[in-house]
Amino acid sequence: METVKLLREDSLMRLRVERADRPVNVLDEVCLGELERQLDVIEETPPQLLVIESGMPGCFIAGADVDVIAAVSDAGEATRLAERGQSLMRRIEDLPCPSIAVVAGSCMGGGLELALACDYILGVQSAKTLMALPEIKIGIHPGFGGCVRLPRKIGWLKACDMILSGRSINAEQAKRMHLVDLVCYREKIEDGILYLARRGKRRFSGMQPWWMRLWPARAIFFAVMRNKALQRLKHLDVEEAYPAVPATIRVLSKVAGLAEGQAYAMEAASLGRLAVTPTCANLIRVFHLGQALQKQEAVKKGRERAGQIDCGAVFGAGVMGSGIAWVAAKGVQVDLHDVSDKALARGLTLLASLAGRDAGRMAHIRPALDKSGLEHCQMVIEAVLEEMEVKNSLWQEVSGRVSRDTLLLSNTSSLSITEMQRAVKYPGRMAGMHFFNPAPKMPLVEVIAGEKTTQKTLQTVAALAASWGKYPVLVADRPGFLVNRCLMPYMAAAFALLRPQQGGGQSVEHVDGALKQFGMPMGAFELADRVGLDICRHVAEHLSAEFGSQQALPDWFAAMVGDGLLGEKSGSGFFLWKDGKQGGLNQALSSYIPTAMRAEKEGDASISDALPPMAAMDVVDACLLPMLVEALACLQEEIVQSAEHLDAAMVFGIGFPPFRGGLLHHYSGQDAAWLQGRLKQFELSQPANLDVLKGEGA
Amino acid sequence: MQREIVVVSGWRSPLGKAGGLFAGMTAVDLGVAVLRETLARSVVNAGQIDTVIIGNVIQPTDAANIARVIALLGGVPQHVPAHTVHRNCASGMQAITDAAEKILSGRAEVVLAGGVESMTHAPLLFHDRFREALAGLQKARDVSSKAKALLAVANAPWKPRIALLEGLSDPTVKLNMGQTAEVLAREFSLSREEQDAYSLQSHQRADAAWNRGDFDDEVLHLFPPPGFSAVHRDEGIRAGQSMVALGNLKPVFERPLGTVTAGNSSQITDGAAMLILTHREKAEAEGWPILGYIHDWAYSGCDPARMGLGPVFCSHKLLKAKGLEMHQMERVEINEAFAAQVLSCLKAMDSKDFAARHFGEKKPMGAPDMERLNVQGGAIALGHPVGMSGARLILTLFNQLKHDSGGGLGLATLCVGGGQGGATLVGSQPWKQ
Repeated sequence: METVKLLREDSLMRLRVERADRPVNVLDEVCLGELERQLDVIEETPPQLLVIESGMPGCFIAGADVDVIAAVSDAGEATRLAERGQSLMRRIEDLPCPSIAVVAGSCMGGGLELALACDYILGVQSAKTLMALPEIKIGIHPGFGGCVRLPRKIGWLKACDMILSGRSINAEQAKRMHLVDLVCYREKIEDGILYLARRGKRRFSGMQPWWMRLWPARAIFFAVMRNKALQRLKHLDVEEAYPAVPATIRVLSKVAGLAEGQAYAMEAASLGRLAVTPTCANLIRVFHLGQALQKQEAVKKGRERAGQIDCGAVFGAGVMGSGIAWVAAKGVQVDLHDVSDKALARGLTLLASLAGRDAGRMAHIRPALDKSGLEHCQMVIEAVLEEMEVKNSLWQEVSGRVSRDTLLLSNTSSLSITEMQRAVKYPGRMAGMHFFNPAPKMPLVEVIAGEKTTQKTLQTVAALAASWGKYPVLVADRPGFLVNRCLMPYMAAAFALLRPQQGGGQSVEHVDGALKQFGMPMGAFELADRVGLDICRHVAEHLSAEFGSQQALPDWFAAMVGDGLLGEKSGSGFFLWKDGKQGGLNQALSSYIPTAMRAEKEGDASISDALPPMAAMDVVDACLLPMLVEALACLQEEIVQSAEHLDAAMVFGIGFPPFRGGLLHHYSGQDAAWLQGRLKQFELSQPANLDVLKGEGA
Repeated sequence: MQREIVVVSGWRSPLGKAGGLFAGMTAVDLGVAVLRETLARSVVNAGQIDTVIIGNVIQPTDAANIARVIALLGGVPQHVPAHTVHRNCASGMQAITDAAEKILSGRAEVVLAGGVESMTHAPLLFHDRFREALAGLQKARDVSSKAKALLAVANAPWKPRIALLEGLSDPTVKLNMGQTAEVLAREFSLSREEQDAYSLQSHQRADAAWNRGDFDDEVLHLFPPPGFSAVHRDEGIRAGQSMVALGNLKPVFERPLGTVTAGNSSQITDGAAMLILTHREKAEAEGWPILGYIHDWAYSGCDPARMGLGPVFCSHKLLKAKGLEMHQMERVEINEAFAAQVLSCLKAMDSKDFAARHFGEKKPMGAPDMERLNVQGGAIALGHPVGMSGARLILTLFNQLKHDSGGGLGLATLCVGGGQGGATLVGSQPWKQ
């Protein structure tokens, strides 16, 4: 099979990459080999102009094959792979004739590095034309010369941003930052090629800009880049969690002062080291987990019906409701309903702050106080108060006014969909669609089938979520569904650590610090404050009634709620809050749990009976193991379809550190005996299906 | 048989003072918001509309043919055409009567018509000589001609021209609208007290109507950026307005002896109104609710220096054509451009002399009873977004006839800058010969 064709037209040669065996062009073993062979031919009889293009619609080259990188187990092997790519790119660069890459569609990673090796890049105007070096997202950096050629082409500032963020650039932006030399419409590609060809072979000076050659300027520049990149990761041990970030900055800063040959060698060696880190393997795993959710069977089957939905309504303009409206407005016109004009004003203000990025989307959202416009809706999502009576009375009114096949979706986090279905006519069209806070940011959506929900409804909802860029996971209609049910034992365990008898009286800040250092986006206490202590308590009561004490919160927690310490919304909970920003510890806490404030009183000699703080890893295991036990129970009860879906849900729903690959995956590397001992140590029950973890090693 | 024009749905925005609540919304934003709300509240599907006609006076330079821009952004399908109409203060009425004519002639079944105006966003303009000088600068090639051109720019009048004021002036008689009101106040010997008393009544009536909830089925809630607080009530109504406060205001257009003040003139405001029109058979066949009927309309010209008398001429023409008398009108809306102008119209309608001179009739046509005229207040209290008011008058008449007077006929009429008048006859029931 030929994936790289060489077409001759008089003085011009076209190198056309076209995979028949894959949905997109990737630079794998086959493709690299054929490119090398075709280059042999080209070098023998060089044409006057070489054009590199793709024969596949909507894709130039989507990058190197992720699975090849995932399969590498030896740093030397990875380095050799990079060197092979680099030499290929250099051969293209060194051709005596000008070369032009015609980029129509996605041009990622190795694909963009190939384009950069050409003298000119011609960008074709289309929504699908996107360029990026996304390697950082899977824990590596560009390895086919991108670290050298991109700064040379677009300047250091923009190049560092592209490489360190991995963000995508569309054709217009690419033109503005001189990443492409010409943008044209599809019909004008041939004219564009001739236009660029007239400029002849490009000669790079090979010189750095003047300020790059002054070492203080260079040092300051990279120090600033480093600070900026590490800001988000400040709680983590970066060398362990995301080694690619500092490594990339190291490579870029070295490359700036080296001759080309040395620079490439440096890039390849660094890539080799990164490719074998567990972070790289885990990030690739998480990438696949997300892809699997977006391309699951239900999504494929529901896609057609979801595509026909163009108008919907969201009830409840709170943080959750307006966030959902924002997400849905990506694909449909959304009416945002609330009975209070104050709530609507707050919701819209929140959306306006998001709309800075995407002003057009705001125009898709129509606020409504009077439930108007329901007749035109094909989908209704409710995010109103978590009380069955409130929801039922809303559904009764709504279901009478919308058409019989309008989807009725509930964003409930704890109530039963099956029970809700009793209140509506045609319950087959009703399902749960549970978003995570903040909805515009968290990618997970739990899709819940009640007893009477039809397959068609379920598939449409899954496809709808996927079309809004979310990752749908199908879960069973049991209290707490999947994520909240696993989250609550984790929270309860964290709270229990404060108690002197059991947890050794850990301090709030120590527990939150250990969890953040592990990689959780926020500590358990901060999370409780953000969610609202009253909501935590409500959910815990509901879940513990169903599943037992591992879901129950301590008594002092109820006392805090009773005294109005509700977290962010009331201004104080475990921490003090102002304008959405976390302040110091709440001093009032000591009246509920004496040991919570211990960190502050360390110097106080009177408290000498306190135990030394637990090791960070112990804190993490004390919190995560109850979550693991509950997760295994969920698998056993078939709450979720597979272990992969469960891992994905934890990463995309609560931000379980992606560089650890998922909850089950994290513990799968551990020895079974160690794990059993550990469970015993924290007085947890031994799950019957502990061997599931073995399968998660890959 | 001739079609009977019906309105099946209609809504308007609250009216916000210029630079006030809706300062963050352009005319397009206002139009889109009201159009979307009207469609959402109506059983009519956007795809069933045959054409869109919108009246607008201060047409934004960045939204040429504003009707099309509003229609597309508001969710009307692309295949539905749209055009903008301009007859100054009667633009909103013009849109509706044009729609009615289209339906009558069989060229359309369902038309979305209305008016929109953002007087906040009336632009500042450069003087034409300044524009010329700038153009000269662009053409200059060498240093000396560039220096010369630069000097010309520096010497050109740089002070901006205020489009709002220029739009409210009549170039043919060189009077602004306030000055034409002063002409009427002098000629009909209207005192300052009479004008102020009428204005006070307008505020009191508007306030009472809002408190009774009369506007609940007519006015939408809007959520204007940047604060997105809900706006429902018209911004200009002063519940505590008094004769003393009105008396303290200085005349604006003729100092110091004039009588027309900011307090007894209409307010400069932003707003939009949209109505969906069709004919009776269509509405009945589709099962759409009927808000009311549009029976007939008339426009007429008059002396531009006395443009405020426009309503007298067009109402006379319209009533005569239909064989009706003024006292048969259950409700009358005369747009309150100025208190002096409304009061002059009433005097002229009652004047034998006026009737003889202008209509060659012995009997005066008769003025509407004050208890039937502008019963929910008018532009002095609510505001007068010029391109929108005509649509608002028709809409408010439908609601008054439906909820207040228990049916009957209504007459909406307004004066038009440049010396014209427009009048529309509406009713709650089909026309009976």
